[in-house]
Amino acid sequence: MDTPSLEIKNLTKKYENGPIAVDNISLSLKSGEFFGFLGPNGAGKTSTIKCITGVARITSGTIKVSGIDVVEDYRQARRRVGIAPQEFNVDIFSTVAEILDYVAGYYGFFKKTRIKRVDELLAQFDLEQYRDTQFQHLSGGFKRRVMLARALVHDPDLLILDEPTAGVDVELRHDLWRYLKNLNAEGKTILLTSHYLEEVERLCSRIALIHKAKIVAEGSKKEFMKGSRSLEERYLEITREGNKES
Amino acid sequence: MNYVGLYTLIRREIARMFRITVQTVGAPLISAFLFIFIFGFILGKKIDSIAGIPYIEFVFPGILTMNVLTSAFQHTSSAVYFGRWVHSIEEVLVAPFSYFEMVAGYVISSLVRAMIVGLGVIFIGLAFGAVALTHPLLFLLYLVGVAVIFALVGILVGLWAQGFEQLNILNTFIIMPLSFLGGMFYSVELLPDLMKTITFANPFFYLIDAMRYATLGFHESNLGIGALIFAGLIIGLGALVIHLFRIGWRLRE
Repeated sequence: MDTPSLEIKNLTKKYENGPIAVDNISLSLKSGEFFGFLGPNGAGKTSTIKCITGVARITSGTIKVSGIDVVEDYRQARRRVGIAPQEFNVDIFSTVAEILDYVAGYYGFFKKTRIKRVDELLAQFDLEQYRDTQFQHLSGGFKRRVMLARALVHDPDLLILDEPTAGVDVELRHDLWRYLKNLNAEGKTILLTSHYLEEVERLCSRIALIHKAKIVAEGSKKEFMKGSRSLEERYLEITREGNKES
Repeated sequence: MNYVGLYTLIRREIARMFRITVQTVGAPLISAFLFIFIFGFILGKKIDSIAGIPYIEFVFPGILTMNVLTSAFQHTSSAVYFGRWVHSIEEVLVAPFSYFEMVAGYVISSLVRAMIVGLGVIFIGLAFGAVALTHPLLFLLYLVGVAVIFALVGILVGLWAQGFEQLNILNTFIIMPLSFLGGMFYSVELLPDLMKTITFANPFFYLIDAMRYATLGFHESNLGIGALIFAGLIIGLGALVIHLFRIGWRLRE
């Protein structure tokens, strides 16, 4: 049996003096899958992602990336994950080329390889004209492109995108979708969170919905939408049910 | 060992330093110039020599130590604090670095800044005839030791601080007073007994006195105790900072 690209078992995340952000969830992503991870604000999506990447500490449970434990063998696991977070967590005074160059260096790329990789990414994301522009001077859409390019610098097996098209205009959003589809077609496993359900419907083959820190629905897109006209309708049904129960 | 990654982290931090050269290199050099010129050159002419050493030469090791330690401290404290503040430190946290490498990256880049400032202060000292060098190897060892200790202290403060005010508290209320009271401008022999005893309990006194020994061959403290303080602080602070990175104190949610 193939090793899952991402395997989360009984993950719980509780913040100090805070509520339980993620409550005993389990998920498994096959290699090459485009997976939609949905949920309302504060449901636990970003906390789950932070646990995968090591930005947040795991309270209990395990996470494996391509079979590698993200706590026990964190350095190997981190080589396999690329993250484009919701917040712009970069040095805003660095230029686009510097941001990509530094991250390539962190992952051990020597100068020659680094220059080549940065050039490739700048071309791939139509960022060549902004090569020497400081991050702070880019528009929202181009900032998102830089985040995506940065996540791909080390060619990770698993790409995690937390609201990658938030604040992006329609044209740029379509461009980003095209990039993502190409990446997935090339075999990259993608975990996507988004509030644009049309985006998830268009891109993802499997979907999970997290609500109030628990996974409340999971399945292929078809299974997920069974009996509903659209993903949005199904999403609202599930979350409203969840709200009534509590 | 992720050598390329470590080198990149150092390169990045040095580039950050050169983005604001006036603040990181210019300001301490102006401050050192004023100290050497006013205390050493102008007032020094009116002050008798101490233990046969001209006053300007006597105060120079203290001025050098203060500038080196302040530069090292400011470099890491601002790097870690700003990294936390704008979340750019997450780039380092999610990269395949060991915790030792993360800390080493900040400390080595800080060392580079401290050495650039130190070299500048030495050139200013040379222009005023304030520099002597009796034990060059010890001098280098002490200079690096001081920079490493305060780079580690800077990381601790960068992790601890929850605002800009806290970032400056330690420098204003602990580092500056303890260096001034650590015999930077005077010999402990000039102090009354109680003050002398207090000075011997001040670790900064041993750092300044060690530097004075390396430059002038003159010392007032027990150099063995000084060496223990140097080694103890480097090992103790190093272990603490690496541990804090490992557990993600104020770094990981």
